[in-house]
Amino acid sequence: MATPDHAENDLQPFFVLHKALVQKSERKSSGSRKIRRRIELSPISAKNAEKMEIGTGEERDDHHYEHLRMEAFNFVWSKIESTIKDVLRNINLNVFNEIHRWVCESFDAIKSCGTTLTKATHSYPIVTDATFRQLFTGLVFTKNMEFVDDLMTFEELGLHLKSHGCHVANLSSIDFSANNGIGGCLRSLLRQFLMVTLDAADISILASWYSDQGNYNKPVVVIIDDMERCCGSVLSDFILMLSEWAVKVPVILIMGVATTLDAPRNILPSNVLQHLHVSKFLLGSPSERMDAIVEAVLVRLCSGFCVGYKVAAFMRNYFLRQDGTLTSFIRALKIACVEHFSSEPLSFMLKALFVEENSQGFWSEEHALFPEEMLKYAFDLPSCRRNNTEERTGENLAHDLSELKRLQKCWSTTVLCLYEAGKYNKIQLLDLFCEAVVPCLGNSTASNHHLGSGISSSSDHSIHHQYLISEKCSFICQAIRKVRDLPVVLLYQLLKSWEKLTEDVIEIHDKVKELQSLLKFENGKSLKQDLTNIPKRHTSRSHLNMDKDSKVLNEKAARLMETMVRDYMQPVECIPFHEIVCFKNVDKLQSESWGED
Amino acid sequence: MGKEESPQITRRTTRSSSSTPILKNGEETTKTSEPHPLTINDLVFGGEPIKLDELLSSFPGRRIQILELMRLLGPLNSPMLPLFLYGGTSTGKTSIILQIFRHLNRPFVYSSCLTCYSPRILFESIMNQLLLHRKNADNGYASAKRCERPSDFVVSLREALTNVLNTLKENSGKSSSRKPAGQANGRMIYLIFDNLELVREWDKSSSILPFLFELYDILNMPEVGLIFISKVSPDAYYSDRGYVEPIPILFPDYTEDSLRQIFMRNQANPKLYSSFLDVVLRTFSRITRRVDELSTAFSPLFKKYCEPLSDPGLVPNEDMKRKLFSHLQPHLAPALNEIFKVQSQPSPEVEAKQEKVKRKSNANKLGGREAFDEIDFHMSTSAKYLIISAFLASRNPATLDASLFDSTGGSDNRKRKRKSSEKSMEQKETAEQELLMKGPGTFPLERLLAIFQCLTSVVESSLGEDQQINEGLGAGNGDSGLMSDVLLQLSSLCNANFISKGGSCPLEGSTRYRATISEDLALKVARSLKFPLSKYLYRG
Repeated sequence: MATPDHAENDLQPFFVLHKALVQKSERKSSGSRKIRRRIELSPISAKNAEKMEIGTGEERDDHHYEHLRMEAFNFVWSKIESTIKDVLRNINLNVFNEIHRWVCESFDAIKSCGTTLTKATHSYPIVTDATFRQLFTGLVFTKNMEFVDDLMTFEELGLHLKSHGCHVANLSSIDFSANNGIGGCLRSLLRQFLMVTLDAADISILASWYSDQGNYNKPVVVIIDDMERCCGSVLSDFILMLSEWAVKVPVILIMGVATTLDAPRNILPSNVLQHLHVSKFLLGSPSERMDAIVEAVLVRLCSGFCVGYKVAAFMRNYFLRQDGTLTSFIRALKIACVEHFSSEPLSFMLKALFVEENSQGFWSEEHALFPEEMLKYAFDLPSCRRNNTEERTGENLAHDLSELKRLQKCWSTTVLCLYEAGKYNKIQLLDLFCEAVVPCLGNSTASNHHLGSGISSSSDHSIHHQYLISEKCSFICQAIRKVRDLPVVLLYQLLKSWEKLTEDVIEIHDKVKELQSLLKFENGKSLKQDLTNIPKRHTSRSHLNMDKDSKVLNEKAARLMETMVRDYMQPVECIPFHEIVCFKNVDKLQSESWGED
Repeated sequence: MGKEESPQITRRTTRSSSSTPILKNGEETTKTSEPHPLTINDLVFGGEPIKLDELLSSFPGRRIQILELMRLLGPLNSPMLPLFLYGGTSTGKTSIILQIFRHLNRPFVYSSCLTCYSPRILFESIMNQLLLHRKNADNGYASAKRCERPSDFVVSLREALTNVLNTLKENSGKSSSRKPAGQANGRMIYLIFDNLELVREWDKSSSILPFLFELYDILNMPEVGLIFISKVSPDAYYSDRGYVEPIPILFPDYTEDSLRQIFMRNQANPKLYSSFLDVVLRTFSRITRRVDELSTAFSPLFKKYCEPLSDPGLVPNEDMKRKLFSHLQPHLAPALNEIFKVQSQPSPEVEAKQEKVKRKSNANKLGGREAFDEIDFHMSTSAKYLIISAFLASRNPATLDASLFDSTGGSDNRKRKRKSSEKSMEQKETAEQELLMKGPGTFPLERLLAIFQCLTSVVESSLGEDQQINEGLGAGNGDSGLMSDVLLQLSSLCNANFISKGGSCPLEGSTRYRATISEDLALKVARSLKFPLSKYLYRG
C-alpha cells in the first residue's frame, strides 16, 4: 500500500492542523501586544473602548483592564487546558494499566523460554520453536481515522510504561519511510535506547546493549504510533528482524491502528503476520472523549467560560461533519476563548467570579473602585436591559453575577442528570449539551415540548420550538422517555447517580432522596444491597411482581426530571449578564477557524 | 599471537567451570559476573555437545540431509567446497546446520542477511565475530573495523582469518591430550551466510552476490569453509561468472509423517496429542507444510482441544476422542483460513459482547444509531462522503458518470442494468470477473471532486433526517456544508490507506488516485450515512 510519494502526502494534515494552534499559542506567548492590537482593530471592542474613553478619557485605566483581561484569559485557558489534559489522561488510564499488565505477562512468557546472557549476543538464532519466535504485539485501536489526537496518547503511554520500569522507544511512521529503509528505523530505535547515533545501525547492537548490566531483565517496548502510515516493506523487515532476535532481545511491539483490523492485514504480508502474537486494546472513541471534555469544560464549567448555542452548534457540526478531531475542537474552543477575552470588556471578571473561592470578598473590595462607565456598560448589556428595573450599583451587579453563577450550577446539574439518563439510550453529551444551551422564550411551553406531551402551542415561535418540530423528538425528550422505560435495577442506579450529582442543589437533592426512599420501601424485599449483581432472571421475576409499582416510580422519576428541566435548566443566554462569561459570536469563530471566505 | 594466547589459557579454565552451571541457572551466574572477553572458543556453538544419534532423532525426516552434510563437511581439518543449502521456509536448514556445528564443535561465523541488511553491516558483522569484538557502551557500540567495499573486506577478512587459523592451529597442537569442554575442534573455520535470497534485493547492480560466491576463489584458503543458506533454489542466482558452483543440498518440504514426528517431540501427553494430530494434521498439511505456520496454528487449537478435559494427563479413549473432536470442530475452519489471529484482552471483549447484546435489544427502536455503530472507528461525515465518492470513481467507468449523476439520479441506471442482464448472463459474469481481476480503477482528482460535489448536493437537497438536525443546530451558519477542507480529508484518507495515490498519468500529467477499500467497508460507510450506494454502483 506504500506509495513512493508516501512521505509527500504524509505531513499535510499534521502540519495544517497544528499550524493554527501553534500560531495561537505563539500569539499568546509572544506577549499581549498582538491581542491588544486586535482589540483595537475589531469593531466591537473599538466601540467599547470608545465608549469608555468618552467617559474616563484615561488611557491608564483602559490598559489596566486590558491587562486584567489578559491575565484572566491566561488563567481561564490554562485551567481549561489542564482540565482537558486530566480528562484525557483519566480516560486512557485504564487502557494504559491494561497494556502494562499485558506487557508484564508477555515478558514473563518470553523469559519462560529461557535464555542465557552469554547467548544473547550471538549472531545466530537460539530458538527454533516457532511459537517462541512470535513477537508479542499489542494493537491499540484509536478508533479515529485522523491520528492527530493520539500523538500525545502514545507519548503518554510511553511515559506510563517507562515509569513502570520498561525500556520504551516511540517510533512513528516517519521512521518507517521507504526512503530511509530499515536503517532509518533502527537508527531511531538505537538513538532512543542507547542515546547514541550510529551510521551503521544494526539490531545486534541492541542485543549487546540489552545484555549490559543495568538493562537486563526489563521488557523492551517499541511503540509505533500510526502503523497505517508506515511503509509496509520496511515495517515487515523490521518485524522479521525482531523475530530473528526474539527471546535474545525481548521486544514487545505496540502499534497504533487508526482504522480496522484489516489495516495490518493489508499492509503486511502473511509471512510477517504469522510472526505476530497479537492482542487488541481499545482506546476511548473520539465521541467518548469528546463527551468527557464537554462534561468537564462546558457543562461542569471548570473555568466559568461558556459558549452560546450557535457557537456550540458550530463546534458540534465541525466535529461531526468536517474534521472529527478533538484537536480542532479544542482549537476552536481556544479561538472562542481568545475572541471572548479580546472583545468583551468585562470578561476580566470571569477569573474573579468563578475561580476565587470567596468571590464575595473580592467584589466588596473591587466594585467600589469600579468606574462608573463599566457599570453603565454592564447594565447596558442586552441581556440586562431586557428586565432592567434595578439600580445600577456595584452591589446589584455582584448580586446578579452570583445569581448567574447559581443558575449555571443548576443548569449544569440538570444537564448531567439528563446525561445519566441518556446514557442508557446511548445519547451523547455533546448532543444534549447543544440542545440544552438553546435559549427559549417561554420556559413552560418549551418544557411542554420537552415532555413530548403532544400539546403544540402554535403561538410559540421560539427557536427551540422550531428546532423541536424539525426534529420530532429531541435528545432531552428521549432521555426523559428513557427514564420512564428503565427497569427497576437501572432506575435504582440512575437515582443513585442523581443523588451524587445533585448534592450541591439542595432542592433537587431532597426530591431525589425522597424518590430513593420510595424505591427502597417498595422494593425492599426484592432489592438487595448489591443490586448490580442480581441475575437477569431474578430481576425479571421481581419485575413481574412489582410491575405496577415500579412503573409508578418511573413516572415519578420522569416527572422529577421534567421539573428539573423546566425549573432549573435555564440556558445561559437567558440569564442577565451572561455576556460576561459567554462567547456567542459564531461568525467571528467561523472566520477565524476556516479563514476568511 | 602470543598476546592473544595468554589470557586465553586462563579463561579456558574458568569458562569450562562455568559452562556447566550456565545451563541450569545460567541467568543468575552470568548476570552477576562481568562479561568475559571473547575468545576463539566463543566461535563454537557452545553448550553441551550433542551426539549424532540425538542430532538425527531431533530432526525427523532429515536423516539424509544431515548425513549428506556430515559427509561434505568431512572429518576434522579436511577442506571442503562451498555448500548451498536451500529449501522452503521453516524446513530446518538453519537449525540443522547449527546443531551439526554443535555436534562437531567446530568454530563458525554466522551471519544472517536479514539482520545484516546491507553489505557494510554484513561485512562488519563477520569481522566483529572474527576479531572477537564485543560492542558495548565503552567503545560506543562501534564495529571493530569499518569496511564498506568488498575489496576492503577481503583484505581485512584475510588478515583476520589468518590470525584465527593460527590460533586454532596452536590450540589443537597444544591441547590434544587434555581438551576442555568449550574448546574448538579442528583447524577449519566456517562462514555461514543465512537468508542469502535477501541479498538479491540489496543493490540492483548485483555485485555483492557474485562476490560472495566468488569469495572461495578470492580467499583461496582451504581452511575456510563457506556455507550458504537460501530459501530459493540455486537457479535463481545467475551463475554465469565462472566461479566454483557451491554444492547444492535440497531441504524438501516435510512429509506428513515427518510433520507428525516433529510435533510429537517433547509432548507431555503423547497419546492425547497424537489424537489431536489425527484430527488436525491431515487437513492442515494440505494447506501448508511449514512447521512454523503449523505450530502457531496448532498451539491455540490444542488448548481448545484440551478444554473439556479435567485432567490434561488423561489418556483419551475412543468415546472421549469423539467428544473432543466435536468440541474442536467449529474452530477448525476459521483457523484454516486465518493465520492472523487476534487475542482480545479479556475485559474489553466481555464488555463488547455485553454491548452487542444491549445493542441488539435496542436495535428495533433505534435503527439509525445501530447502523452507525457498525464502523468501529470515527470518521467525519464529509470524509465518509469522500470515501464513497472515491469508491464510486474507482468502480464505475468514467463514461457512466454523466448518466449516474444527472437530474434523474440512479433510476436510469436500473433499466440499463436489467437490460444487460437480460441480454446474456454469461457476458455479465465474464465482465464481473474482469472487473474483479482488474481491481479498482484509477481516477484523477477532478473526477473525485465532481462526484463528491454531486453526492453532497443530492444529499443536502433531499435533506435526510440526520441532516436536518445538523441544519437545525447549525442555524445561522449557512455555509456549514460539507465542502470545506476536502483536500485535507483526502490526504487523511490517503494516510489511512483507504485511497492510494498512484503515479501520474503520462498523458494527463496529473496524479491519479485509487480507492483501495473493500466493497464491504464502503457499504458500511454508506449505511451509516443512509446513502443508497448500490443505486450508484455499476455492475457488469
